[in-house]
Amino acid sequence: MPILAGPISYAQAVILGLLQGFAELFPISSLGHSVILPQLLGWDIHQNDAYFITFLVATHLATAIVLLLFFLEDWRRIVMGMWRSLAEREITPDNVHGRLGWLLVVGTIPAGLLGLLLEDSLRTVFASGQSAAFFLIVNGVMLYGAERLRRRAPRYETGEGSDRRIAEETTWLGSLGIGAAQALALVPGFSRSGASMGGGLLLGLSNEDAARFSFLLATPIIGAAALLKLPELLGSEGNGVRGPALVAALCAAVTAYLSVRFLVRYFETNRLTPFAAYCVAGGVVYSLILLAK
Amino acid sequence: MSRNRMLVPAAILAGALLIIVAVIYWVEPAKSLPFPDFLGHEAGSNTVHIKHGIAAFLLGIACFVFAWFQSGPKHGRASTRTPE
Repeated sequence: MPILAGPISYAQAVILGLLQGFAELFPISSLGHSVILPQLLGWDIHQNDAYFITFLVATHLATAIVLLLFFLEDWRRIVMGMWRSLAEREITPDNVHGRLGWLLVVGTIPAGLLGLLLEDSLRTVFASGQSAAFFLIVNGVMLYGAERLRRRAPRYETGEGSDRRIAEETTWLGSLGIGAAQALALVPGFSRSGASMGGGLLLGLSNEDAARFSFLLATPIIGAAALLKLPELLGSEGNGVRGPALVAALCAAVTAYLSVRFLVRYFETNRLTPFAAYCVAGGVVYSLILLAK
Repeated sequence: MSRNRMLVPAAILAGALLIIVAVIYWVEPAKSLPFPDFLGHEAGSNTVHIKHGIAAFLLGIACFVFAWFQSGPKHGRASTRTPE
């Protein structure tokens, strides 16, 4: 692997960027994989290294921008709906996108608060590949459990009515619960999208609606987390990683776009079960390999 | 969202307190914070907890938004708009 002057080579940046964009949206824990992969490949990159955290900011920002652009028309309607509700000082039953927007705000609060307060300490405690592999197994069990325990979701025609169904079926408390479940992703191995999709299923949403709500919920939380750390990437802590970070961000943007496009269609008719199986199997295999190292 | 006007003053008070807490986080180092250890106080530390401040500020804003909706018109008016 060619190592250039910086701590992360361009080849490593390409691999990590492709992985990040793909794993961020699939319910398989991007953070867990970004901890496990360098250890599996014997790279001298550790999750708590300041330059690596700074490097990941770029890939997260790219993923958030892709999500924002992918759902841009939805976000325009959501912002208009929220503005209308503020002007009217109430969320009228016909203001579907206003209610959806406030549900997203309520869902973002617990994950945002816990992220702001606990991210550093949790990252330090759960930095090892073994713990990430173990929690990947738990993530798989959680995804499978959500599919098994879900209330039977009514069958809908896909497409236009999704926002209305989410707005009508998701309660404020339910959205708060989904937001709290998202905070699990602060622990490497747990998936943010997996937790929020699982929470949606337990509230009675269909896979399609749960996935859509999860992707909309992802944009502010990933974007805000990345923007908060952007000064580190642009400042002295970014010295030596800005080039690879830019390359990784471009790679992450490509895989994030392909992933969200694929997953939106996939969840119209399919379930979380294959991802649950991968997480359990992958977690077991990675644990054994890391133990043998 | 059901309305309870009793909650409005409580939400405004909580919002104002949280924004004051945010300012304290932003201007005081961890060693001078008048909060318990689990809320960021660290003896001898000059770290400024910017992120704790942001969390408190956003929560304060959320309280004000809650108060805004709770203090809206008593009876929801029938919307004249076409459903989306």
